[in-house]
Amino acid sequence: MKKTIFAVAVAMTFGTAALAEPLKIGIAAEPYPPFASPDAAGNWVGWEVDFINAVCAAGEMECVITPVAWEGIIPSLTGGQIDAIMASMSITEERMKTIDFSDKYYNTPTMIVTAKGSGLTPDAAGMAGKIIGVQVSTIHEAYAQAHFPDAAEIKTYQTTDEGFQDLAAGRVDASQADSIAIDAFMSSDAGKACCEVIGAVADDPAILGAGVGVGLRKGEDELKAKFNAAIAKVIADGTYETISKPYFASSIYGG
Amino acid sequence: MLSFAVTAGAASALDLLAWSPPGWGATLVAGLWNTILIALGAYALGLLIGVAGAFGKLYGGPILKDLLAVYTTLVRAVPELVLLLLIYFAARDALNNLLNIYGYGPIEFSGVAAGIVVLGVVQGAYSTEVLRGAILSVPAGQIEAARAMGMSPMLLARRVTLPLMTSAAVPGLANLWLTVTKDTALLAVIGFIELTKATSLAAGTTKSFLTFYLAAGILYLLLSLVSGVIFGRIERWARRGQRNAGGGGI
Repeated sequence: MKKTIFAVAVAMTFGTAALAEPLKIGIAAEPYPPFASPDAAGNWVGWEVDFINAVCAAGEMECVITPVAWEGIIPSLTGGQIDAIMASMSITEERMKTIDFSDKYYNTPTMIVTAKGSGLTPDAAGMAGKIIGVQVSTIHEAYAQAHFPDAAEIKTYQTTDEGFQDLAAGRVDASQADSIAIDAFMSSDAGKACCEVIGAVADDPAILGAGVGVGLRKGEDELKAKFNAAIAKVIADGTYETISKPYFASSIYGG
Repeated sequence: MLSFAVTAGAASALDLLAWSPPGWGATLVAGLWNTILIALGAYALGLLIGVAGAFGKLYGGPILKDLLAVYTTLVRAVPELVLLLLIYFAARDALNNLLNIYGYGPIEFSGVAAGIVVLGVVQGAYSTEVLRGAILSVPAGQIEAARAMGMSPMLLARRVTLPLMTSAAVPGLANLWLTVTKDTALLAVIGFIELTKATSLAAGTTKSFLTFYLAAGILYLLLSLVSGVIFGRIERWARRGQRNAGGGGI
């Protein structure tokens, strides 16, 4: 038994990445409905998972979905544990310093959700003196830091879902997140009972970015071209619409 | 009415914990299995380091003794979580840069490997001290008597030091095993799906926090109870022939 464990450990430590291996697509190891969340069988399901499968099929790439902790997802990419990030990661200038992105594959507005009847507004004046919950290392954290200087506290969470749980429990006054993630929360029992959406924040393209793209290591232009072609194909041949239909009433591709 | 609500709650909790989907039982047990594998690997690595470290600290040269003192002090001073993040992110980058310089491709440092290495190195520091104490507990008179009988150092270790120190070491080592089974939960931070991460995924997806965290607590408890039985037997075996042989286990 010990020998087996050691052999496995050694193999996992020193197994070099052969070229023929399938592409490891990193997703965030957290429930992020409706994009990616685990089901009871341990499989990952959701729109983004369907999209990953569609893009890999269109690009004739062999892919395996690899869940990674969100805070460590960029180091995992640059460190070679994964080959691409498809975890609803927005294309921002800050991230472009470290990694490269494909063309965007969806773009949705950023909203704020609060307790029912809070009377708050999604701007600097409305958020003054309030505790705002955001997921750590996201555009939402960067935006809240930059645009809500008078907030009592910007509270960061490892996952978006935990931020919503604390909003439902009354530990934060407001949660800022992607509109689709907020929609998913608002259609849950907890969301219906506690909260209401107070609207979208004012756009700031420098921080909020230009939509969500595939994160890739710098200098891998061939792979980037492959992803861009595959994304374009999925959109052009109607697959994008087909996989979106069960999840969204209208297109999330955005302008 | 209340009892009805409780019954309904219990039924849905059992549904959630059912073995096959839509129950999450199999996912939790798979997480428990990962937890056990990492704990076993780290514990084995820790014991190896511990035996070498204890003998080194007691019988090594001055430089080896100093190096081992630095190791046990540093490792026991820094939180396991910090060490884990250091090895998983920082050490891996450094290692891959080094390999790059010498023209090798990057190696993959999986969560399992990082977990076993970090927890093993931490366990090694603690078991070094446990084993050192156990070796020192062997009465000097027994060793002198063995030497007077003309035993070689190897025979002395095999017939006198090891059998006598084992009984003193087992309770401390059992403690370390229990610690490592729970330290595996730290791997949840790097996204490795062991029992704690599997539980938080299940709880986050279904919003049934109480059910799943209670279930995880029970699984950890079961692991401890089974370990207690095994270590109890080991201790009884190690103490065979001694007076007051009771009290083994956890």
